[in-house]
Amino acid sequence: MMLVKISWRNIWRNSARSLVIIIAIVLGVLGGNFSAAIRLGVERQNFKETVEHQVSHIQLHHPEFIANPEAHYRIEDGLKVAGEISQHPEVAVVSPRIVFDGMAASANMNTGVRIKGVDPELETATTDLGNLVSSGNYFSEPGRLPSVITGKELADELNVEVGSRIVLTFQDVAGEMVSASFRIEGLYEVTSTAFEKRNLFVRSDDLNELIGDQEAVTEIAVVLHDVDTYRKVSGELQNTYPDISVRHWADMQPSLYYSLEFLNQNLIWIVGLIILGVSFGLLNTILMSVLERVRELGILMAIGMKKAKVFGMIVFETTILAIIGGTAGLVLSWGMIRYLNNRGVDIAAFGGEGMGDFGYASVIYPELDTAFYFQVALVIVAFAILAACYPAWKAIRLVPAEAVREE
Amino acid sequence: MKTVIKTNGLSKTYTNTAVPVEALKDISLEFKEGEFTAIVGPSGSGKTTFLNVIGGLDKPTKGNVIIDDVDIASMKESQMFDFRLKHIGFVFQAYNLIPVLTATENVSFIMLLQKRPKEEMNKRAKEMLEQVGLSDKLDVRPNKLSGGQQQRVAVARALASRPDFVLADEPTANLDTESAFNLLDIMARLNKEENITLIFSTHDQRVIDRARRVITLVDGAVDKDEAFDRD
Repeated sequence: MMLVKISWRNIWRNSARSLVIIIAIVLGVLGGNFSAAIRLGVERQNFKETVEHQVSHIQLHHPEFIANPEAHYRIEDGLKVAGEISQHPEVAVVSPRIVFDGMAASANMNTGVRIKGVDPELETATTDLGNLVSSGNYFSEPGRLPSVITGKELADELNVEVGSRIVLTFQDVAGEMVSASFRIEGLYEVTSTAFEKRNLFVRSDDLNELIGDQEAVTEIAVVLHDVDTYRKVSGELQNTYPDISVRHWADMQPSLYYSLEFLNQNLIWIVGLIILGVSFGLLNTILMSVLERVRELGILMAIGMKKAKVFGMIVFETTILAIIGGTAGLVLSWGMIRYLNNRGVDIAAFGGEGMGDFGYASVIYPELDTAFYFQVALVIVAFAILAACYPAWKAIRLVPAEAVREE
Repeated sequence: MKTVIKTNGLSKTYTNTAVPVEALKDISLEFKEGEFTAIVGPSGSGKTTFLNVIGGLDKPTKGNVIIDDVDIASMKESQMFDFRLKHIGFVFQAYNLIPVLTATENVSFIMLLQKRPKEEMNKRAKEMLEQVGLSDKLDVRPNKLSGGQQQRVAVARALASRPDFVLADEPTANLDTESAFNLLDIMARLNKEENITLIFSTHDQRVIDRARRVITLVDGAVDKDEAFDRD
C-alpha cells in the first residue's frame, strides 16, 4: 500500500511533467481512435453505397453476360429462378432485372449507358433506389412516354432535366437496333459520380416489350437478411444453378473487399503505431524522472528495498499515468466520434468534393466498434509498461553505494 | 560485550579506474555492541569505502566481514538486500529521506519493508520522532523541514527498526554548528538508551570529540585506533 502511495505521490511531485505525459497519451488515443474511426466510417459508408445501393449482396447472370452485357444473354426461366431464390430462408429480397448496354441521346448530346429494366417496388427494396431520387418522382404514373430515372450526373452531361425527353438505343433479343423515347421522371443521387453517369432505370415491362421478350431477365440481384452469410448462400445458389454465374459482392468489388479485410485486421495497428510514437516520448520522460532521482533510488536500495520493488514502483507510476491518460483519451474520443457520427465531417471544405469521382462521400460519418476501444486501452497499457521498463531497468542497475553519493 | 562486526584482512581495490586504486588495505577490526565509533581521516583515506563494505553496499576484494556469525562478503546480492534491511541502519550525508513521504511515513518505511504490524510501526515511528524532538512534525514532508530536522528524521528511521548497528556517512557534513550538536546529542543519547552500535565516518571535529572510539585511516590502512572516556 505504501508503494502505491509513493508511486502516486511521485507522479504528482512534478505535476507539469505528469500532465505532459497524460496529455501525450490522451492525444495519442484521440488521434489513433479518430483516424481509425474516420477510416472505418469511410469504408463502411463505401460498403453501404457500393454494395447496398449498387451491386447488392449477390448477383446472378448468364455466364457470357459479364463480358458481353447484351439482351441476348438472358437467364433461362429468369423469373422462375428469381421466384425460387426468394424462397431461400437467408434471402430478404430478390430483384429480377433486364440489363444491357446502350446509348442515351438528348437533343444535342449522346453517351453510352447501362440500361436497367426493373420492377420499381422490388428495386427500391433491393437498392433503395426510390429513396435516392432527389428531384422529380419515382415511377409514379404511366404517362404518354415511358418513364426513365437517371443519375443527376448523367442528366447534367446530356443537358436535360426532369420532364425532358431522351432517346435510348439498344439491341433487341434478335440483335436488331431499337430506339425509343423516354421521359425523365426523376433524378437519383449516389456518392459515386461514375455510377450516376452510367446507370439509368426504366420499368422492366417497358423494356421487355421493346426487346421482344416479355419475360426476359439478364440479372438477378439478391439481398440477404445477414450480409455475413453471403459466401454460404452464394455457394448454395451456385450448386443449385450450375449453368448460371453466381457472384457475391466481394467477387464483384474485390478492391472494396480487400480494403475492408485489411482494415479489420490492421485497425488496431494503426492506433498501435501512433501509440508507439507516443511511447518513445513517454520513455524519454520517464527516463528523465528516473535520472533525477538517482540518489533517492540509491537510498531506497541501500536501506533494503529490493530491486523488484523499485522496478515495480517505476512501472507502476507509468501504469497509473497510462490508465489516467488512456481513460481520458477513450472517453474524449468516444464523445468526439459519437458527436461526429451524428453530425458528419464535411470534407468538401478540404477539397473532398472530388471524392465522389472515386466513389467516396464528401461527408464522412466516423464510427468505431466498442470492442476496439477496449483493444486500444490494452495496447496503451501494454506500450506504457514497455516504455517504463527501460528506465526501470536502468534504475535497478544503479549501484546503491554510488547512487547515494550522487549530487 | 558482544562483537557486532568483525573484519579480517579487509582489502578493496578499484580496478575500473585508469590506475588501480587500493582504497582499503588489510583492515582487521572488531566493533562491540553499544560502541560509538568515529572513522576519521583525510579525503580519500577510505572512510566511505570502509562503511560501504561493512554495510554490505560494496564487496571487498579480499578478506571478510563477519556480522552475526555470517560472512556478508560471500553473500549474493539478493541476500544482501535482506540482510541490510534486517540488520543495518543507514544515515547518509544529506537528502536521506523519501521526499514524497511525511516524517512518520519515512520513519516507518524500513519497518514496512520488514512487514511489521501497522500499529507497532506507527507507535514506534511516533516514539522515535519524539525522541529526536520532532513530535510536532509527524505529518510534515521533508521539503518543509530544515537540514538538521531532516537528518534527525533519518536518524529516527535508522534506529526505529532496532538494527544491530547504524552506519552514518558524514551525517553532519551539511549542518550548521547548532544543528550538528543537536544531532550528535540525540545520537549519543540513543546510543546509550537503546544500546545501539553507532559507526560514523567523519572529518568533523565536533563528531570526533563525542566519539568514545576513534579509528584513523590513512591511505586505506588503519593508522590509529584510540579509545576515549567521554562520561
